[in-house]
Amino acid sequence: MKKTLNINIGNTIIHIEEDAYETLTVYLNEVKYHFSKSADNFEIVTDIENRIAEMFSDILLTQQKQVIDIMDVKLVTEQMGSVKDFETEETDGDQHEYGSPAFGQVKKLYRDTDQAIVAGVCAGLAHYLDMEERWIRLIAILTVLLGGSGILAYIVLWIMIPKAETRSEKMAMRGEEANLRGFANSYLQPFVTKSRGFLAEAFDLLGKFLNGTGSIIVKIIAIFMITIGSFMLVALIVSVVALLGVWDTQVINKFPFSIVNEEYLSIMTLGAFLTFAIPLLAIILFTVRVAFSNRPVNTTFSLVLLILWLTGVGITVFHAAKISSEFKEEAEFTQSSEVKPYGEYTLTIDRTRFFTKEDSVQYHIDPNNYKGRKILSASYDDFDLPNSVSLSVEKSDNGKVSMSQNFSSKGFTFEEALKNAQNIHYSFLQQDSVLTFGPTLYLKKNAKWRDQEIKMVLRVPEGTKIRANREVRRYLNYNYWDCEDESNNEFIELVMTAEGLKCQHERVADESNR
Amino acid sequence: MIAENTQTQMRKGILEYCVLLIISKGEIYASDIISELKSARLLVVEGTLYPLLTRLKNNGLLSYNWVESTSGPPRKYYVLTEGGKEMLNQLDNTWSELSSAIETAKQVAEKTTNNSINLNKP
Repeated sequence: MKKTLNINIGNTIIHIEEDAYETLTVYLNEVKYHFSKSADNFEIVTDIENRIAEMFSDILLTQQKQVIDIMDVKLVTEQMGSVKDFETEETDGDQHEYGSPAFGQVKKLYRDTDQAIVAGVCAGLAHYLDMEERWIRLIAILTVLLGGSGILAYIVLWIMIPKAETRSEKMAMRGEEANLRGFANSYLQPFVTKSRGFLAEAFDLLGKFLNGTGSIIVKIIAIFMITIGSFMLVALIVSVVALLGVWDTQVINKFPFSIVNEEYLSIMTLGAFLTFAIPLLAIILFTVRVAFSNRPVNTTFSLVLLILWLTGVGITVFHAAKISSEFKEEAEFTQSSEVKPYGEYTLTIDRTRFFTKEDSVQYHIDPNNYKGRKILSASYDDFDLPNSVSLSVEKSDNGKVSMSQNFSSKGFTFEEALKNAQNIHYSFLQQDSVLTFGPTLYLKKNAKWRDQEIKMVLRVPEGTKIRANREVRRYLNYNYWDCEDESNNEFIELVMTAEGLKCQHERVADESNR
Repeated sequence: MIAENTQTQMRKGILEYCVLLIISKGEIYASDIISELKSARLLVVEGTLYPLLTRLKNNGLLSYNWVESTSGPPRKYYVLTEGGKEMLNQLDNTWSELSSAIETAKQVAEKTTNNSINLNKP
């Protein structure tokens, strides 16, 4: 069974099968196009159509048929001749008679979507400028690299230049003579008639891109992501193992770890590991799933991962909350000591510190012979403990020189806070008129960081001169910027006056004013 | 290619002449012209005839009458105009000139061939 159509050809109604109709339409279109250049176009085509109708009628009559099938159409068109046959019969001599010679030789700018990489702008320009596509594309890529102007230009051209859709447009684009052979050739090419908007085209293109070339790029990116993710995961595991291995030694006394109580350390490490490792694993698995569209793990495994992650987060949050509760109460004690009176004091920071027993173990130095040795720490690590040392110079009321050190800390209870405050190690040394301060406070071994602070107040009578070196100024509760003189000295000179600490040159200026 | 081109040119000129000759016999329908041309092996496909007829008609050599047909729509029957008859006479003359020219040329060619053969004999 086949579908048939009724056609009116040469004022005759013919029943024709669908496939036969399609063949006939193609043939008649070719013929029409062939003669479209001729002034007698209409008459010739009508003659031919009439003749075809007559032949169909003859066939139906002689073969006692009702319907024209594809074989009949082939027979008729063979008898009538293909456009190629017409062409050989009417070589050059006649051609001037058919239309203007310029027809079809005028190039028009269209986008060539048949040879497009993106939207056929470059291919279209190549046709128009009669250059090879690759050179246009090379120029386009260069303009993209030079500040990306090429992308904008491309999009503008994409929107402005129409797409070559019909055969004649495609031929005009190529500058092909709109002759019969060109027409016939172009007719053999698959023909997309659907005209769509710019956006639809862009989305369609994106889809094709993701299915084709794009999927390769996506896969490359995916492999890259998986590699990085796996590397980070391995690094995380290695560092956790390494951390657990060296727990007992120095690491837990370093600042960020010295917050965590020793009994929580293992469980919190586990919690933190789960919190960071599972999302990494999830990203890797998700990338595999999206880029390679297979499911590396089943739902149960995903669920287990989710539960583990939530557990990890829970552990971390719980212990973090517990630890933060140990910052609840604050305690402080003050320790005052007298300082030998001098007319002038020099304040310095001592970066060297004496070897402790722990140091000698750490650096494998004979533990019995550590006394008197010094570690020369050229730069002390700010990260070691948050800046927690401050120094202020005040006027002494009783005319004596004294140094008071205020140790403070936090803890879950007042007692604990006081205990924590007692864990502070701080070195302050007087050598004649030189007062040497330690750069930072130290915590006794295995003491936890609970926001320990030391505030020192040096009380000196009126008229005492203070020379503070550069580093001390960082700790000094004094607006020393005003005292900076142009000489850029190592020391700034301050004097205790009735109104408090003043710059030496400021006081001199004050006195001369009086 | 050159041979083909020459053949096509010759065929084309002769085709026009033959069409005029066939029509000069009396009013005739296109498909009858075709069958006559086919028997004379001058025409391969029908499609080439229609542009030719139209051109000859537009040049004032032919005209046609619509004649009712028993089996379908009316048909075009072609006749020669006065201009066409004149043209045919001219073509007749040209043809006899051409054919005699070709005959002469062929005879000359044969003679030279014979002579050259004789000369080669000892």
